[in-house]
Amino acid sequence: MKLELNIVKYRVLCLCISALLLIPCIGALIYSTVTTHAPVKVSIDYTGGTILQYGVKQDINTDQLGILRTKLSKNGIENPEIQIINVNNDSESAIKSLISIRTKFIENGSDKDAIITNVVQSEFKDANLDQISSVGPTLGKELFTNSLVAITLALLGIICYLTIRFQFDYALAAILGLVHDVIFVCGVFSILGLISGVEVDALFVTALLTVIGFSVHDTIVVFDRVRENLRYYAKKMSFGEIINFSVNQTLARSINTSVTTLLTLFALYFFGGVTTKNFVLAMILGIAIGTYSSIFFCTVLVDIWDEKKYASIGASKKA
Amino acid sequence: MKNRIIMFWAIVAIVLVSISVLFSKPTKFGLDLVGGSRLELQAQKTATIAAITPEMMDSLTFAIKKRVNAIGVAETHVQRIGADRLLVEIPNISDLNQAKKMIGDTAELEFKKNIAKAGEPENWVSTGLTGKDLTSAAVGSSQTGQWSVDLVFNATGTKKFADLTRALVGQQMAIFFNGEKQSAPVINEPILEGRAQITGGGDGFSASQAKEMVDLLNAGALPVPATIIQENTVGPTLGSDSIKKSEVAGVIGLGLVMIFMLVYYRFPGIIADIALCIYGIILFALFKTIGVTLTLAGIAGFILSVGMAVDANILIFERTKEELRAGRTLYTAITAGFDRAFTSIFDSNMTTIITCAILYFKGTDIVKGFALTLAIGVIVSMFTAITVTKNFMLLIFGTKTLTNPWLFGLRKDEIGTAYQATESKKENAKFGVLD
Repeated sequence: MKLELNIVKYRVLCLCISALLLIPCIGALIYSTVTTHAPVKVSIDYTGGTILQYGVKQDINTDQLGILRTKLSKNGIENPEIQIINVNNDSESAIKSLISIRTKFIENGSDKDAIITNVVQSEFKDANLDQISSVGPTLGKELFTNSLVAITLALLGIICYLTIRFQFDYALAAILGLVHDVIFVCGVFSILGLISGVEVDALFVTALLTVIGFSVHDTIVVFDRVRENLRYYAKKMSFGEIINFSVNQTLARSINTSVTTLLTLFALYFFGGVTTKNFVLAMILGIAIGTYSSIFFCTVLVDIWDEKKYASIGASKKA
Repeated sequence: MKNRIIMFWAIVAIVLVSISVLFSKPTKFGLDLVGGSRLELQAQKTATIAAITPEMMDSLTFAIKKRVNAIGVAETHVQRIGADRLLVEIPNISDLNQAKKMIGDTAELEFKKNIAKAGEPENWVSTGLTGKDLTSAAVGSSQTGQWSVDLVFNATGTKKFADLTRALVGQQMAIFFNGEKQSAPVINEPILEGRAQITGGGDGFSASQAKEMVDLLNAGALPVPATIIQENTVGPTLGSDSIKKSEVAGVIGLGLVMIFMLVYYRFPGIIADIALCIYGIILFALFKTIGVTLTLAGIAGFILSVGMAVDANILIFERTKEELRAGRTLYTAITAGFDRAFTSIFDSNMTTIITCAILYFKGTDIVKGFALTLAIGVIVSMFTAITVTKNFMLLIFGTKTLTNPWLFGLRKDEIGTAYQATESKKENAKFGVLD
């Protein structure tokens, strides 16, 4: 039994599904921007926070660090950035390591710092609060604007290349597919941020870049098949039939490629470290939606735009 | 056939060279994966600066960031801490002493004139022309072939410099850097085009001295002097506990991908898995040779490029299966599979490479690391997924007939049944259909 998709027949349905997926995302992005001044919940990488440093008289191993991280999040300290600092040739004191914990801004009168100290001392009895101060963001505004400029230029580059190799319609459809995917991933994180406080850190930018790369890659493979089939079958089939034919021919490949990439990502999500979980989640969402959009969104757009054009070409050829 | 055997040994040679590189060079890892050094800086009040304002700290942060980044492409952190301190974290791979020198330098550039009368000791005073009036600095060479620092002034700098040189024709003008006199040339004629050259006086600059000065001048002077008050080594920002787990997870993930390819594509799957191993070996050898610093962003680029490498093989094998279903001979099916999959692999990879190039040249550190590993990965994957796989497939199957379709994941009754439409004669000829 072979799965045969008829996306041309159900193209309105396809667009409705995309709309259904994206409307809550856009809603969440707008709602979050209005209420919290940021479309997604951003981490201390962007906002800065408080740094607490504890001196400990022993060497700290990886397992202890893991236990400390779990204990802190159980006590309501979300996404702490914990680093172990080995003290260099400090002969005067017995302090061997420092534990540096970066977390959200701790306001005056809040008991958060006391909670953290308690947790640290429950794990390391001789831990001593060495310093507590506020820290600025590691990611400045200039990184953000700079990345946006770079990505915009990259998109223009993609449009130029695809216009030369395919047509402008295809380039535009590929870019809209990419925007579709990015809005979805950002939107889901916006919703997760509003509901369960999931934060977006520096790695999120990288995850989005990966999603962009995958999205375009996936779309091009389907378009390549459309281009090839148009060359062979333009006289025998309608444009819609060619689109359907091409999508079905590349379907096994589209699914298999996503499955292989998702296998790696799921392994990283379920067995990997906590600090990269959200990063991996963003990539999983992006690859899933990227596969969806290359089959059900980009091709549908091209079908709607080019259907009439090819109908007239076909008619003139027959006449 | 002969060419194929030569190609096979060439591939073996490349793999052997790559393996020797893997064992002889260390991998560079970034701050997020292995940690590095942490320096704490404190802004210092001086006679002219009575209080450290937040604005001063902002421009200090900016200047230090620029300087640390000038050392290399590796991702670094510069973060404000408290009212007057900065936390600077640099990965292990960077030269700590070099970094400390770069951070501590105030990088004040001043042009001075001598107001002492003949016979008196030199007395240099400021002319008002400083490093603030520069547009850029670059390493160059002087007429005598020594290293020099070439300066380009901005509009106000050009005007100041022209006025100064006009007034000082026949006299000396000295260039001071961090309070030290670098050179004091005699001005022969007014210089109107806004360019100047610093040569290192007596022995001249070494190449690294000139480069360091250029980096510092381009980064700009520090608004306030800053001293290093603490220096430690730090663990990875992502936490060593997390990284250890992710390493295991990554291996499990790649293993699953290989098993999937094997189960779904059978024999070609084995070849794709071998090609994937070769891909990994060549890629990491290249990373080490070029000196790529691996950060998590780079690893993301790597994962994506593995996905794309596997994708190329999936495209080819799906195409080969289609051709077999259409009743072609094994040899034509394999070559047609490669030929027809090539345009889609080429176009999608070219788009990725163009994107990476733009991101690399325009983006900042995180984006750069991602773009570099992805671009190298995609280029290597074009070699392993196409050239290597094709070579192995043809060496093994050659002109044999397909006696066991199971090897390609096909059923006997599927063969010769597919393809909805017939192709034109011309296309038949192109792909060598023998029916």
